[in-house]
Amino acid sequence: MTTLWPIALITFKEGVRNRALYGITLLALLLLVANFLISGMIMQEVGKVAVDIALSAVSLSGLLLVLFVGINLMAKDLDRKTIYMVLSRPISRSQYIVGKFLGMVLLIIITMFFLSMFAMLSIQLIKMTHPDYFPRFSWPMILLALSFSTLSLILLSALTFLFASLTSTSFITLVLTVIAYIIGQSLSDVKALVETPQTVGIQVSSVTVKVVQIAYYLFPNLSIFDIKMQAAHALPLSLSYIFWTVLYGLVYTSLALTGAAVIFRRREFP
Amino acid sequence: MHMIKIEGISKEFKENIGAKKIKALDDLTLEVQKGEVFGFLGPNGAGKSTAIKILVNLIRPDKGKASIMDRDVGDTGVRKHIGYLPENPYFYDYLTAEELLWFGGKTTGLSSTAIQKSTDELLRKVNLLGARKRQLRSYSKGMVQRAGLALSLIHDPDVAILDEPMSGLDPLGRKMVGDIILELKSRGKTIFFSSHILTDIERFCDRVGIIVAGRLILVDRLDNILIGNTRLEDVFLGAVEKAGGGMEI
Repeated sequence: MTTLWPIALITFKEGVRNRALYGITLLALLLLVANFLISGMIMQEVGKVAVDIALSAVSLSGLLLVLFVGINLMAKDLDRKTIYMVLSRPISRSQYIVGKFLGMVLLIIITMFFLSMFAMLSIQLIKMTHPDYFPRFSWPMILLALSFSTLSLILLSALTFLFASLTSTSFITLVLTVIAYIIGQSLSDVKALVETPQTVGIQVSSVTVKVVQIAYYLFPNLSIFDIKMQAAHALPLSLSYIFWTVLYGLVYTSLALTGAAVIFRRREFP
Repeated sequence: MHMIKIEGISKEFKENIGAKKIKALDDLTLEVQKGEVFGFLGPNGAGKSTAIKILVNLIRPDKGKASIMDRDVGDTGVRKHIGYLPENPYFYDYLTAEELLWFGGKTTGLSSTAIQKSTDELLRKVNLLGARKRQLRSYSKGMVQRAGLALSLIHDPDVAILDEPMSGLDPLGRKMVGDIILELKSRGKTIFFSSHILTDIERFCDRVGIIVAGRLILVDRLDNILIGNTRLEDVFLGAVEKAGGGMEI
C-alpha cells in the first residue's frame, strides 16, 4: 500500500486537474438544467422522464470521463514516456497498474458522487414543482441505479487498462474501449435475438449463434448495470440480481486488471 | 562490490512489424566502481540510452546480465538505490514540482519530514524553489530537466544514472548540473552519465566509455586517454572512425 497510494494519488490529482473534467461536469449540469426545463414542458409522466434524463446525464458524463480523462491517464504515460519516471522508482509493473487503477477508481467515485448529487437535486426540484407526477417514486432505486452506473464505469476503466497494456497509442485504446462499450451495451439483446430468431421471423446460422455466444462471454455485459428503467418506474429489484450484478462487475474488473498486469509485466519501454 | 556491472549484453529491436531487426547493443560489458564518475559517450543511435534503459529495467536484454550493487536490475528493490534522469524527461502536466518530489520520496520509502527537507534542499539547488507550486505544464524545457534532476536525487541514491543531463539547459543550468555532479562525487556517490558535450565529460569524469553501433570500443581512465595535448574530441572522432562510423548527422 505504501507504493500504491502515491501512484493512486498522483493519478487522481492529474485526472481531477484535467480541464476535460470541467467540460464534462459542465455538460452534466447543463443536461440537468435541461431536465428541469423539459419536464416542465411535457406535462405527462414527468416523474419517469425526470428520473430517466437525470440518470442518463450522469451515465453519459461518466462515460465521457472514462473515455477522455481515464484513457489519457494510463495511455499517455506510454505515449509521452512519463512511465519512465514511475517505473524507475522501486515500483513493480503490477503495482503500477493497480496503483494507477485505484487512482482512476477514486476519480470515478468522487466525480460520480458529485454528479449524482446534482442529478438528485434536479429530480427533487422537479418533484417539488410537480408533486402529482410522482406517484411511484423510490430514492433507493435511484441510488442503486447511480451505484450500478459507477460500477459499470469502473469495469469499463479496467478494460481501458487492459487495452492500453496491449497497444502503444491512446487512440487505439480509445477505439477499442468504444467498441467494447457498444458491444457490451447491446450484446444481451443480440444474443436473445440470435438464439430465438423465430420470434421476429428471421433465420440465423449456427455459426453466427456461436460467435455471438462466445462474444457474450468474452465482452462485459454492461446492460445488466443499466437499471434506469426500473429506477424511473420505481420497480423493485431482487436482492439476488443486485448481488450477482455486483459480483459480476467486481470479478470482470479483477480479471481485466489481472490481464493488464500480466501483459504489462512482459512489456518493454524503449 | 561493483556499483554497476554489465556483462555481455546484446539487444535487438524491430522498428516495425516485419522490419529487419536492428542491433542496438552487441556484447556490451563494463563495470563502474563506487565513487566513480563514468562518462558514456557515443554518436546518436549508438545504444547509450538502450544500455541505460536496461540498467533501470525499462527494457530487457536479449543476452547478458546487468546488475547494480551486485543485485540484478530486475529486482524492484534495487531501484531504491538508483536515481534515474531520462533523456528529455516528461512528467505529469498537472502536478507541481513539489508534488513530483513527494511522489519520488514516498515511492522510495522516505518519511514526510525527510521529503520536505530534501525537497527544499534540492529545489534550491536546481533553482526551482520559487516555482515549486507551479504545475509542470507551465515549465520551460530547462526547468522540466532541472525538476527531473531533483526527482532523481530526492532519495539520495547511491548510483545516479543520468541520460544527457545537460540537454536543453542554458550555460547556467549546465553549471548547476556540473556542481551537483561534483557534489555527489565528493560524497562518494557513483555517477553514470551520457552526454554529447565532450567538455562536460572532460570536466567531471574519472573514466569514459565510447560506444559505437552498439559496441563498446574504448573504456579507460580519462587521465590515460588525455596524455599531453590530446583532446577528448580527437579521441572520440578517431574511435568512431576506426569503428566504421555509426554517426547520424
